[in-house]
Amino acid sequence: MRYIPNTKEQLEEMLKEIGVSSFEELISDIPKDLRFKGDLKIKGPLSEDELIAYIRGIERENVDFASLKPLVGAGSYKHFVPSVIKTILAREEFYTAYTPYQPELAQGTLQTMFEVQTHLSRLTGFDAVVPSIYDGASATAEAVLMAMRLTGKNRIVVSKLLHPQYMETIKTYVAPHKTEIVEIPYKDNLTDVNVVKDLLNKETAVIVVQNPNFFGGIEDVEAFSKLAHEFGALSLQVVVESLSLALLKSPKDLGVDIVSGEAQSFGIDLNFGGPYNGYLATKMDFIRQLPGRIAGETVDRNGKRAFVMTLRSREQDIKREKATSNLCTSHNLNLYAIDAYLSLFGKEGLYNLATYNIKASHYLRSRLLQTGHFKGIDYPFFNEFVVETDLEELEIKERLKKISVIPPLKLSIFFTGLVNSYLFAVTEIFSKDDLDRIVETLGR
Amino acid sequence: MKLIYEKSVKGRVGYSIKKDEFDGAVEDLIPEYALSKAKKELPEVSEVDVVRHFTKLSKLNYGVDDGFYPLGSCTMKYNPKVNEYLASLDNFTQAHPFSPLEFVQGNLRLMYELEEALKEITGMDRFTLMPSAGAHGELVGVLIMRKYFEDQGKSRSKMLVPDSAHGTNPASSAMAGFKVVEVKSNEVGNIDLDDLKAKMDEDTAGLMLTNPNTVGLFERQIQEIAEVVHSQGGLLYYDGANLNALLGIVRPGDAGFDIVHLNLHKTFSTPHGSGGPGSGAVGVKKNLAEFLPSPLVCNCGKYFGLEEPRKSIGRVKAFFGNFTVLVKAYAWILSMGNDGLKMVSETSVINANYVLAKLKKYYRPAYDRFCMHECVLTGRDYKEYGVKTLDIAKRLIDYGFHPPTIYFPHFEPYAQETIMVEPTESEGKETIDEFIDAMIKISNEAKTNPELLKEAPHITYVSRPDEVKANREPILVYKEK
Repeated sequence: MRYIPNTKEQLEEMLKEIGVSSFEELISDIPKDLRFKGDLKIKGPLSEDELIAYIRGIERENVDFASLKPLVGAGSYKHFVPSVIKTILAREEFYTAYTPYQPELAQGTLQTMFEVQTHLSRLTGFDAVVPSIYDGASATAEAVLMAMRLTGKNRIVVSKLLHPQYMETIKTYVAPHKTEIVEIPYKDNLTDVNVVKDLLNKETAVIVVQNPNFFGGIEDVEAFSKLAHEFGALSLQVVVESLSLALLKSPKDLGVDIVSGEAQSFGIDLNFGGPYNGYLATKMDFIRQLPGRIAGETVDRNGKRAFVMTLRSREQDIKREKATSNLCTSHNLNLYAIDAYLSLFGKEGLYNLATYNIKASHYLRSRLLQTGHFKGIDYPFFNEFVVETDLEELEIKERLKKISVIPPLKLSIFFTGLVNSYLFAVTEIFSKDDLDRIVETLGR
Repeated sequence: MKLIYEKSVKGRVGYSIKKDEFDGAVEDLIPEYALSKAKKELPEVSEVDVVRHFTKLSKLNYGVDDGFYPLGSCTMKYNPKVNEYLASLDNFTQAHPFSPLEFVQGNLRLMYELEEALKEITGMDRFTLMPSAGAHGELVGVLIMRKYFEDQGKSRSKMLVPDSAHGTNPASSAMAGFKVVEVKSNEVGNIDLDDLKAKMDEDTAGLMLTNPNTVGLFERQIQEIAEVVHSQGGLLYYDGANLNALLGIVRPGDAGFDIVHLNLHKTFSTPHGSGGPGSGAVGVKKNLAEFLPSPLVCNCGKYFGLEEPRKSIGRVKAFFGNFTVLVKAYAWILSMGNDGLKMVSETSVINANYVLAKLKKYYRPAYDRFCMHECVLTGRDYKEYGVKTLDIAKRLIDYGFHPPTIYFPHFEPYAQETIMVEPTESEGKETIDEFIDAMIKISNEAKTNPELLKEAPHITYVSRPDEVKANREPILVYKEK
């Protein structure tokens, strides 16, 4: 077998050195009646060329995604990924390494973690960052648990315009902890700040608001933070489209206590929903309650700057059942992509990119409204918006297929009351001509 | 080396964006309460700066392709290149998770076929591919246990975890609201059956067990263990971290386990990526399938679709699993087939026992018996020379090897100063011999020149970073002076 170097002769030689006559003797600990008899009924072994043909055959059962542009986002955004990133991710020193337990052999990983922590700090305003948790949804659930530990309370107040799958993930994570979950309704595509006061009380641990929200709406986060603090609760901002942070005020400046986010927009492919990269950011006061891996700066034996995993006494391999979380493997490989992406775009580039996104999405919305087939209320939004239409779902799908566009999200799958509403996402992958073609196609 | 921020030059660009032909200004589109007054202070570097930066960083790392990486419990096996290629195919990487299901039939087929293969390999009845990592899978597993008992109308409050277990086991149990009760190991490195009997009761959800366990030994009394747990109505959980020893030899589903999680990034060869992404697929017996996280992939005759288990514990992340990781795992299984999988376990067990046989007189093993796919040695005999196990590990770096796992497992009185070596099936005899030679040389150096070890490694860019300082004075982000 091409992945197993030892020959039959070598294995026999080794068995001799071990002092046994057969492999069976080595595994004599295993009770006979537990041994699997016969062959596993699985396909293979396939030669490499057969394997490629087989998997490519499966791949071709998908539509030709390479030629399609999605008008759907909803937590998964198609941004252009520069070629540099694929080159970096293909380096074996990155993708075949383990979690950086031996800092002398992992400065590449550790410095990258530290740089991403710094980037996310510049975007959120916070100095304590956990750079990689599985995804935005699980990072948000971890953030809620952290807020419950910090406050010692188990009542949470969550915006109805939090990504519905993030909400479901929170529910799963808090289920064992007798948690009361209160939803804040929305009005005009924004979380209704006027009713929040009535939903808060002294038992509340945290208020959770996504910004931009699930409808793309730009919330007045500071108002929610103020109300939370009045009741001794924490303010948690969820950032699903992290590109928005290039234009929007830093969460720290909005009175937010903890940020949980998804960094997929920064150089990570759509990948059918994963692997993505969740993150947390907060104040230094809260570092001992953070879950997950964090890199810190220090010096080595010779006084040279070095990076290590730090604040380790929070973690499962040391604290076991008293750890802040069970997080072990995270999604570190994506950090190279995020680091490279944010470095390439940098201060001006990320601003310009976010500007393109917000202008393009507003352009599409106003053009759609002009066609007469779409209507919607005015509200501030970033690169996603909600409109209602008189077109049938199938009609939208078929028409867009002809111009190689994946349809927007039909909102009724999550919001039963919104029968004919759709959530459109517009990123820099669309040129003005592309958007004109969409308007022409749907506006007929 | 310099941080990317220290290479920043005002006005330098590394990006390109298509022409912005739209009217209007950001100030008109974002309300004052939300608009940032300043641009965010990210670095300004060119494309070539970025490429060189990461190339340099990569040279400070060590991966499986660089050499022997015998991290016990981590299964650092070779990551086949063709699998990387297959996972990077456009129609996989560019698939949007909210695409109409008829657009993603290939993805769903791949998930369906992978599930079928995992069922056959483990002897379980249904799998979720949703969890992102082993620990994520554990959380799913223990939440299923919790829900199973709640559904029967009698919640249970405790979870049994052996003293040799990975830290994730007790941590996951605690996240699922269980009180953790530790079960002792006995003098031969297995679970103390009497201790288990004394602790397993009707308020205990079950036992989380790794088999082979973390000292690399098969739990000989697994049938009795299963009997004890089941006789009290409990469930037996299989931590699949060490499945590499058992492919085609024992199926957890045949050995009484009710729930298993697999680390596709260990046994099934998907790369560890400097610490993820992995995949922690969870398999269950039929009676627990209705509690699996939603959604599951189903074969609905003509099409592949999604279904929500009736009493699902809910979601544990957005969308589906780590799809591209699943592609790599499935490609590996197809490359191996039945014969290949059996050869994996046979070779990994022989390789580990060969290391044990050759090194046991230099590094007294925690338990002196044949091991499975990894062996646990110790550095305790070198304490008298002032040498710690850490020093031995660091010295190995000078010889060109990644150190094994050290100080885990750790429990009284058998496992201290542990050195856990897992060669996997990917290493040939010559490489293993070179490693053995280095270990023997180090054992001599420990006696004759302990300073050499205490100051090791000598060849790396940094040596012995001060972790205490990092912890006491945390610097987690860069600030310009």
